[in-house]
Amino acid sequence: MKNKELDQLIEQSFGYEPDFQLPDNFAQQVTAELKRRSQWKNNLIEYLFLIGFSSFLLTIVAGTYYLVNKEILIQILNFASQNIPSVIFVLVLLNFILFADRVLLPILFNSQNFNN
Amino acid sequence: MDDHELIRQILNGNMNCFTFLVNRYRKLVVHITGRLIQRRDEIEDVSQDVFLKVYQNLNKYRNESKLSTWIATIAYNTAINHMRKYKKGDDTIPDDHSVIRTLKDFKTIDYEQVDLHRYIRDQIELLPLQYRTVITLFHLEEFSYQEIEQITGMPEGTVKSYLFRAKAILKEKLKFVVDDNSLKKVKEISNEK
Repeated sequence: MKNKELDQLIEQSFGYEPDFQLPDNFAQQVTAELKRRSQWKNNLIEYLFLIGFSSFLLTIVAGTYYLVNKEILIQILNFASQNIPSVIFVLVLLNFILFADRVLLPILFNSQNFNN
Repeated sequence: MDDHELIRQILNGNMNCFTFLVNRYRKLVVHITGRLIQRRDEIEDVSQDVFLKVYQNLNKYRNESKLSTWIATIAYNTAINHMRKYKKGDDTIPDDHSVIRTLKDFKTIDYEQVDLHRYIRDQIELLPLQYRTVITLFHLEEFSYQEIEQITGMPEGTVKSYLFRAKAILKEKLKFVVDDNSLKKVKEISNEK
């Protein structure tokens, strides 16, 4: 058998496309995934901003009461220190509700839309 | 639309242009990830990862190389990292003798019934990782030696050597299994196509 013929045969085969295929809507899937990730990031930033803003407002209110009427602030702190588990539970619950509302539910809702 | 304009539009937030870019380069990406990973159930996920990385890093792209070379580099690195992560890698330097030994096991196939091009393509999939990579980049995607060096980090001489050795292995195999009649038949099939 001639070497040249074999070379030609091999060279031709090298140029043939392999069988690996991507689905027809692959580009749309990638774009949808990109939008999902971008939305997740934006929602998380929004959630963190709300947490930060709420903490800032709380600090301002506490500072104002400290200057105007220390007694109320001391009473609140006493109440909190006597009911630490309940206070932590309420804070975690509020935090979770805010997280679910701002981050989890929009992602779940939109992923259903993307899938449909 | 040229690549430069396409990138500008994507960076301005035009997602339709990104969809267009994915469609333009999907074949390049799937050829690289497919040839390296070889697992059909994972190719789509890895290809998607490649395009997500392309989007995330598009602002870092400088016109120092062609966009196809840059995307191919990301595809190659993503596929290699995926293989390392799941330990499916074939990172060792190929041993041609063992490869030829493996190929000889196929001698019993009835070649009169087989499209030899198809057979050679199947044999390419059995070659070591580095050989498959350079064959895909050089012959299928028509990158230059310099571009392949840029994509894979292999020196130009190594790329040439791998191409030569891959061809030599396949030739050895074909000499072993194909007679003149089979070759004539393949030529006829090729001409018909």
